[in-house]
Amino acid sequence: MLEVEHLRKIYDGHGRSVEALRDLTFRVGAGELVCLVGPSGCGKTTLLKCVSGLLAPTSGRVVLEGMPVSGAPANMAVVLQEYGRSLFPWMSVSANVELPLKQKKLPRARRREMVGRALDAVGLADAGAAYPWQLSGGMQQRVAIARAIAYEPHILLMDEPFAAVDAQTRAELEDLVRRIWAGFAMTILFVTHDIDEAVYLGQRVVILSSSPTVVQEDLAVDLPAERDQLTTRAQPRFTELRGHVYEQIQKAKAAAPPSSGVS
Amino acid sequence: MSAVLRRLAATMALPALLVVAWWWTSDASTNFYLPPLRQILAAFADVWIGDRFATDVLPSLARLAAGYLIAAVVAISAGVVIGQSRVVRGIAEPGLEFLRAIPPPVLIPILILFAGIGDQMKIIVIAVGAVWPILLNTVEGVRAVDQVLIDTARSYRISGLSRLRHLTLPAAGPQIFAGLRQALSIAIILMVISEMFAAREGLGFAIIQFQRTFAIPEMWSGTILLGLLGFVLATLFRMVERRVLFWYFGQRAAARDH
Repeated sequence: MLEVEHLRKIYDGHGRSVEALRDLTFRVGAGELVCLVGPSGCGKTTLLKCVSGLLAPTSGRVVLEGMPVSGAPANMAVVLQEYGRSLFPWMSVSANVELPLKQKKLPRARRREMVGRALDAVGLADAGAAYPWQLSGGMQQRVAIARAIAYEPHILLMDEPFAAVDAQTRAELEDLVRRIWAGFAMTILFVTHDIDEAVYLGQRVVILSSSPTVVQEDLAVDLPAERDQLTTRAQPRFTELRGHVYEQIQKAKAAAPPSSGVS
Repeated sequence: MSAVLRRLAATMALPALLVVAWWWTSDASTNFYLPPLRQILAAFADVWIGDRFATDVLPSLARLAAGYLIAAVVAISAGVVIGQSRVVRGIAEPGLEFLRAIPPPVLIPILILFAGIGDQMKIIVIAVGAVWPILLNTVEGVRAVDQVLIDTARSYRISGLSRLRHLTLPAAGPQIFAGLRQALSIAIILMVISEMFAAREGLGFAIIQFQRTFAIPEMWSGTILLGLLGFVLATLFRMVERRVLFWYFGQRAAARDH
């Protein structure tokens, strides 16, 4: 589904040249839930911007369903970290979820149906007429997720979507992502700095090194497909995997030159 | 209901006080240029309630509306174009700052040459003055749209007219309205000034006529009417703003409460 090949990004400016990404190569197969995790400042957001077509890489390429990505591809939806700022405050929740569908030129009845289904899936069936600023942070992020689902993308990118949300809400939203992934048979690339979250959610965890970034390890998570916050996190295998990822990241941080803080 | 009445009372308290103070201090006045308020109010009733309203005030208001609307349409359109491109902004801004610094009244003799002394000239004067705050605020509003919203729109491939309608204009809305509000005050002033030089009717014309013929209470009454007009227009503006930007006020209130 998605292939990232030797992705490289150098930021040039103000007399400084910063190599954010050196050589990133990994793939995401159809229907997979892959988590990307790495030390702070390792260029996760840069990577996501390149993958989503918002930023052109210096070299290397991103291929989505056989087509190289240049500019935002049609079959991809992105959920950002700043949920509050990604929803349009002058539109109601339903209108926000419906907007990308209008781009797809779908008839109104079909749009309404898809909006209803998406809001239902995230547990906000009654919030359609509300405005984003009337909702809590967790609910706003659900709206952003609903918007992404309603769009019916082939691949969903999530850029640290739960980083700015409190721990209990984060747990709920993690389970929501798993449910959506299973229920809508989606392909998801999930970027996070939270190691526990990466291991809990992912079928695979791609561990990034420090800047200048390369793929440090591509780890398969062999936890059962049915996961829940209490039991899965208590399993010994979870602890092993988590420990392993943590070690890798510590190694990555130790090997790094002083952080240039690119993200 | 009583909350509304209370708010009304609070708003009207100071003006009422000032009016009473004016009445009191001017009641025994024998100064030709500062007649008692009683006389002014009598003149107000005589002059403005009746024919003159239709023959002087309405034409002035019509010209004000025309000039203001033309300025708004031109300024918002140009502002959106200029605001969206850094290159265009760089090219246009020095010229705009230069033109903006020229006081419109100074342009009136030139405009009379091109546009005559009729309604056209007056409307152009009003538009030329009102266009600047709207234009510059629109440019700023469009330039400062949240990057996260822009990225979101890009990633969902929302572009062109749809983007203008759903992202750019609403996002710049608060800033545009700030410009529109400033432009309203300027437009009212220019409405009066445009009628000072070459006019046959109008509110400003009437006030100047009264001044030139030493009909002082009538002149003062015209001035009061002008003030009332400004107040009514500002209130109407605020009502429209509250409705159009309901989301902005709602968002700010929500942020305050956290």
